Amino acid sequence: MDNLIFELKNVFFSYLERFPALSDVNLNIRPGEKLTVVGANGSGKSTLLHMLDGLIFPGRGTIKAFGADLKEGVFNDENFSKNFRRKVGLIFQNPDVQLFCPTAKEDIIFGPLQLGIEKEEIENRLEELTGVLNLKDLLDRPPHQLSVGEKRKVALASTLIIDPDVLILDEPTAGLDPLTTRHIINLLVQSNDSGKTIIISTHDLRLAEEISDIIYVFSPGKRIVKSGKPEEILSDGQLLRDNNLIHSYSHKHKNTTHIHPHLH
Amino acid sequence: MIKNNFIESSISGGLSFLKESVFSDDYASQKGFLQSLDPRIKTATLLLFVVQVLLTKQIVVLLCLYAVSLLLAFLSKIHLGFFLKRTWVFIPLFSLFIAFPAIFSIFTPGETLATLKIAGLELIVTRQGLSGAALFVTRVITSVSFVVLLSTTTKHFKLLKVLRIFGIPQVFVMTLGMCYRYIFLFVGIIENTYLAIKSRVGTKVHSKRGQRIVASNIASLYQRSYRLNEDVYQAMLSRGYNGEPLVLNNFKAGLRDWLWLLCVLTIFVTLTIA
Repeated sequence: MDNLIFELKNVFFSYLERFPALSDVNLNIRPGEKLTVVGANGSGKSTLLHMLDGLIFPGRGTIKAFGADLKEGVFNDENFSKNFRRKVGLIFQNPDVQLFCPTAKEDIIFGPLQLGIEKEEIENRLEELTGVLNLKDLLDRPPHQLSVGEKRKVALASTLIIDPDVLILDEPTAGLDPLTTRHIINLLVQSNDSGKTIIISTHDLRLAEEISDIIYVFSPGKRIVKSGKPEEILSDGQLLRDNNLIHSYSHKHKNTTHIHPHLH
Repeated sequence: MIKNNFIESSISGGLSFLKESVFSDDYASQKGFLQSLDPRIKTATLLLFVVQVLLTKQIVVLLCLYAVSLLLAFLSKIHLGFFLKRTWVFIPLFSLFIAFPAIFSIFTPGETLATLKIAGLELIVTRQGLSGAALFVTRVITSVSFVVLLSTTTKHFKLLKVLRIFGIPQVFVMTLGMCYRYIFLFVGIIENTYLAIKSRVGTKVHSKRGQRIVASNIASLYQRSYRLNEDVYQAMLSRGYNGEPLVLNNFKAGLRDWLWLLCVLTIFVTLTIA
């Protein structure tokens, strides 16, 4: 049997037992993989990521993490909980959710403090991340005084400082300027080179193409309709159109009208 | 129309108050005397001053303590106009209105100082009444001045950390910090919602329709805050929170802090014995 980090079998999930969010999801994730989940708004991508982070649990089906069944009860075991939280880090789509402390610095060090990492080690990691992400001027500022890009960098730092083996990112480049986007992509590639597993949800097919070993496509019906290598998925125009990931748009060069598929 | 203006002025008033509290963070960043002190010692000493103000019964001593607060404001590079506005508005003025009737013989009998005739009614101002009211108002303004000095010269997150030294549970301190943090988020939402409504319906709205719009927005804001509450809790769980928040306290007290503490303690003991 493969060495799997996550193994999802026939997973169903619904909010308030009325609104389906995931339907019959089967998924295997191996160590060191770069995996991207693409799909239109409301297709269940964020729900899947929250489930991988042990924040919500399947209504039906099973999810295994590092060989153990992931159920709500297992997080009552403090050792399991700490071990899992050290191994898996999630960066939320909305950085305002993740930045709940009075200053950026306190937000960044919140995770390692809860996980019992030595204070000296926390200071060292903070210093290193401050340099890598250029956070020096942001540390003492309250989150409401940060721009969207700065908030996203601080949110990223607040998870990276835990140094998890698996990095889960929900729309990491949404709303960011090209330079910050590039900086984040480079950082993710470097993290993967150092052995980390990267799981990303995005609408951005260019990001998916650049960063993925494997892409999973979610349909508006909240299920995985296809998975495969980026070149295989991204060359299937019909699949992308059917799942609201591209549309056609026209533009003019001199007097000739061109119609192209438009990647989101 | 008037009701709309009332809503607009309430929203802009609330926003400007909050923005002013951000502005006052600028004073906390200045390199003044109080800003240079360890927040724990600064809090303890300024609260000692407040206790002394409450124990003192002589107006001269109170005025001296008020002068000390003004001197501290000056040494901490706080603009005098800003400081006086912050300290005199609302609480002291309110206390002045409360204390005003006490100067008359109806409430405080005693030695007559002056007699006023208003609409055929004779009101006698007594010496005891006047000194009692003056003592009360001076006590209020001096106490408020020390508290404002503390809040103006200390960054709010340090102030929250200081609460821990008074034995306030960390979870309570953290909740306070989160309230402060998310108030700003919701202020932004309220501001944008109000602008969005204004851009679609203009400024002239029938009062009943205006009430409906405001009511539905209050409900919508409540729903958003409830949703945010769940999301934030998940974000906390995701980073290992298990009900007992841990924070890093890195305050360091130096020689200057201990000297200041000694100085304030000496003043406190001397005034208490005298």
